[in-house]
Amino acid sequence: MELSLYNLYKDLKAQKILLCYSGPIAQASIEGVGDTLRRNLEFEEARNATTLAVFSIFIEQAQNVLNYSAEKLNKADEDEKELRIGVVVIGYEDTGDYFVYCGNRVYNGDIPRIKSNLEHLRNLNKDELKVLYKERRRMEREPGSKGAGLGLIEMARKSEVPLGYSFEKIDEVFSFFSIKVVVGR
Amino acid sequence: MQKLVIEKTSSTPYIHFDGDAGYLQIKGESYPENVAKFYTPILEWIRNYLDQESKEMTVEFKITYFNSSTSKVFMTILDLLEQGVIKGRKVSVKWMCDEDNDIAIECGEEFKEDLNQLPFTVEVVKGEE
Repeated sequence: MELSLYNLYKDLKAQKILLCYSGPIAQASIEGVGDTLRRNLEFEEARNATTLAVFSIFIEQAQNVLNYSAEKLNKADEDEKELRIGVVVIGYEDTGDYFVYCGNRVYNGDIPRIKSNLEHLRNLNKDELKVLYKERRRMEREPGSKGAGLGLIEMARKSEVPLGYSFEKIDEVFSFFSIKVVVGR
Repeated sequence: MQKLVIEKTSSTPYIHFDGDAGYLQIKGESYPENVAKFYTPILEWIRNYLDQESKEMTVEFKITYFNSSTSKVFMTILDLLEQGVIKGRKVSVKWMCDEDNDIAIECGEEFKEDLNQLPFTVEVVKGEE
């Protein structure tokens, strides 16, 4: 069957999706898409703080894909040129707030760790999240970790509601992990 | 000491370190793919400067946006400067932000809360880029 781009386009519109990026992601695509996203939000006359919050969540999510997606394309010894695969979607809630979703493959074995981390964050209020963020910021980076471990806390701090997430099993090795952040308009 | 100048890119800030004047400026946005790689030379420079020179040092941050891993490096830079102050060096930091950028102002305040000995001021400026 031929791919109907029009149907895909209509689906995205119907789901109030402003922007969708799916596929291999590199720092260059994050910078390019991020810049476009920001200009789009400025056109919509979102408040300055809203624009920056949506942009910053997009960056944290896309860089999480870049650092942690279990689906990747690389050649040996070429860590820098590695591509990782994921989906980032930005759109509108019925309330007019913005949502930012991000999804990628994870190893089934990593699910308990990710889940307990997210559950912990979901139960903290804004003040507790701030304390945790500051504590983690001063901690030594975990050996071998590419990130600072602050991205999820940052998202939780900027989200209107507790972080939403889901895991959908793909096979015995992988699941699809998605996370949702809501930014007030 | 020699000057260190790094031009800005879309995800890394402009860096200007003038050893003779004891002045370091970090200006722009910061969300590089590899934060450690970008900031290692800057951290080295600050360490060497604090070890070798005895002049007063002024550091100016003018950052419109930075990601969470940069936040960690900034904390490391500020801790390093605070160590300098504890050892008797004269160091001061200005965190400059536009009055419209509430997030940058708040981030500056949060760094300030975590520093005891290092003079750190948040300066809100009007209508600058």
